[in-house]
Amino acid sequence: MSDTVTNILLVGVGGQGILLASEILSEAFMQAGFDVKKSEIHGMSQRGGSVVSHVRYGKEVHSPIVPEGEGDILFGFEIMETYRSLPLLKNGASVVANDLCIQPPSVLLGQETYPTDLPEKIAALFPKFLLVDGQGLAAEAGNVRAANTVLLGAVSKRLDIADECWIKALEKMVPRKALEVNLKAFQLGRSL
Amino acid sequence: MTERMLLLGNEAMAHGLVEAGCSVVASYPGTPASEILSGVAQWQARYRLPMHVEWAVNEKVALEIAYAASQAGLRAATAMKQVGLNVASDPFMSAAYLGVKGGFLVISADDPGPHSSQTEQDSRLMAMSAKVPVLDPDSPEQALELVKTGFELSEAFQVPVMLRPTTRVCHANQDILPGPVAPSERKALFEKNPARWAATPNFRHRLHLELEEKLARIAAWEPTAPRLFNPAATAPRAIVAAGVAAAHAREVLRDLGLQDTLPLWQVVQPYPLHSGFITDILEKYDDILVLEETAGIMELQLADRYRVKGKCSGFVPVVGELSSEKIAGIIAAFAGIPAEEPPVPPAGGGRRPTLCPGCPHRASFYAIKRAAPKGIYPSDIGCYTLGTNLGGVDTVLCMGAAVSQAAGFYQAYRLGGEVPDIVATIGDSTFFHAGIPPLIDAVVQDARFVLVILDNATTAMTGNQPTPALGWGAGGVPTATVDMEGIVKACGVKFCKTGRPGDLPAFTSLVKEAVAFARTEGLAVVIARQPCVVDRTFKGERPPRRKVGISNDCNSCRYCVDQFECPALVYDEERKRVVIDTLICTDCGVCIDVCPRMAIEEVGQ
Repeated sequence: MSDTVTNILLVGVGGQGILLASEILSEAFMQAGFDVKKSEIHGMSQRGGSVVSHVRYGKEVHSPIVPEGEGDILFGFEIMETYRSLPLLKNGASVVANDLCIQPPSVLLGQETYPTDLPEKIAALFPKFLLVDGQGLAAEAGNVRAANTVLLGAVSKRLDIADECWIKALEKMVPRKALEVNLKAFQLGRSL
Repeated sequence: MTERMLLLGNEAMAHGLVEAGCSVVASYPGTPASEILSGVAQWQARYRLPMHVEWAVNEKVALEIAYAASQAGLRAATAMKQVGLNVASDPFMSAAYLGVKGGFLVISADDPGPHSSQTEQDSRLMAMSAKVPVLDPDSPEQALELVKTGFELSEAFQVPVMLRPTTRVCHANQDILPGPVAPSERKALFEKNPARWAATPNFRHRLHLELEEKLARIAAWEPTAPRLFNPAATAPRAIVAAGVAAAHAREVLRDLGLQDTLPLWQVVQPYPLHSGFITDILEKYDDILVLEETAGIMELQLADRYRVKGKCSGFVPVVGELSSEKIAGIIAAFAGIPAEEPPVPPAGGGRRPTLCPGCPHRASFYAIKRAAPKGIYPSDIGCYTLGTNLGGVDTVLCMGAAVSQAAGFYQAYRLGGEVPDIVATIGDSTFFHAGIPPLIDAVVQDARFVLVILDNATTAMTGNQPTPALGWGAGGVPTATVDMEGIVKACGVKFCKTGRPGDLPAFTSLVKEAVAFARTEGLAVVIARQPCVVDRTFKGERPPRRKVGISNDCNSCRYCVDQFECPALVYDEERKRVVIDTLICTDCGVCIDVCPRMAIEEVGQ
């Protein structure tokens, strides 16, 4: 096992299920035998504000936070939040983002407009960018609410973790009645 | 318990408490400390431990309940956020003099940033002020260990001990192998000793002397002595770090290639700082960098600060969290090597938090603004602080202050003769926590205003903990209840009526009635009762669902979007009209009564 620590950032809007997704990721890394640390902010930001979760794994991880400019993979649940978080990444990092726009209050109130060219801008800065139709594939898997799991599948493909660790993590973290749909959604994402 | 588990820092500390045989734990929720008590309740149930675990009405009560158990010889703990310790500071300071019998741990979680708090205050400074030793963990795993060390320290010196985690410990997850758990064998036995437990000022003088002697011995206690991370490093300068800053520093040293040259001392007991350590490092090193959050507590204890760089010296920023990239810059500057350029901050506007779609508070604020459009709106601590977005919150000071501030505004304006409408808002949990004494005061002083108690049947912001009115406590166990209306009336309030904010026309009339009463008669209380939309613990009946649609009468005036600010009401720029985001709409139907053109209407399921 090398000394390198892999840094993953999960970003989106409070209420999107980011905490659960970061727990599943961490669980999979633990299953694979790595030292894992994860950190995020609870409380007020969970009420529709920007949310960032940091997940780090490797042989030995000290700090629970990804230093700015050190992110290896950005897992975006929403396009604007994905764009906003790009300075957290190192050059050449992978970006996997859900093709979803959630208008912030300033846009709803007409004070600002939601930019429409963000996917192109992200792709220009980070060639390893994958835009995922999370809702569409989740619907294909059987439930539009499994979009996060589709994304998780796509992220998993960019990490060197064995299949069975992912399956074990999903089995542990996802409620039994939703497991089948989520496993299907995960595989759809993993095939992207 | 033999398998590694991914534990939240708060759950890890909770496990430390049950490993240590702690019998009584009391807490009041507050970010980032809330999951400590729910964690304890979870472990208590899993291991079937005979414990008393409670959500107390406030932090002062929580600390006193746990302290009494310690006086009776049991191990006990209380957990709170840093501003909760302000509320509990009276018994905290006094208990330091009296000392303890069973081990007594006060967990006070700080929030450098701040991310979800009124202040960035350093609980370690409170410990110093109280003369209580404090332990400062760098990770969930170390926090678990220090819970156990804290009990040993507490019993070795018969003194309360503070454990001070920060947000990055409380809300970090780590894979941990927890230790074995066994139920405590101790039985409560309170040994009467009035000279100690009921000490008068004469005895307090002696107790203070004893406390100073204890502190001197604690400053030489081996188990909490500073540890050198890299013994091979021998540079003439060194870093002294505590808490998460120490974890960041270890990684920065590795990244900068300084691991083998620049000594890093980690302090787990920042107060009292070990006296031998202070002498040693001041003798040994030409230059010392101190990294800690959020105040310069260790730095203050270094007698000769001529060669010390830290918060007090201005070398380390005193405001904001010490992120790892900040620490990288500070260590590079200290070591005299070029620092990397800090990354460019993210561009574009922020995304501020907002009340959830379907939140009953939104309807309450809308009604208050209709009933008293030119009013002053004192408010309080909770989700409803987000009523600022709706223009329904003018002040937020601290727990319970909405009531006293409303009274204060009334008295201040009364002196000038003309009193505006004053409508204060406070949550149900906050009302029980600190709203009752100021309500009594307002009645006695004849302060005339409207108090709207936003009763959503939960402590929502911190993760839906129970309130005293609900009949269940930590871990879901049944409890007795108190009656909110009964308390309000017993305080002497003559107008106390309850309504459901989701029934907007009736609720607006009720608030108008209360405003009229306050103008002429006296203090009026309105209880706005409707369950929190995201509370999965709510067992009662929810209000009827009313699915809404937008008719062709919508003339795009944007009134609903601007004045009601529900995230599910979206203005579609292309179609130039308002649409409903059905993925997040909760079918509360309140916006039907908001549209001035009646273009929002109920539609079939």
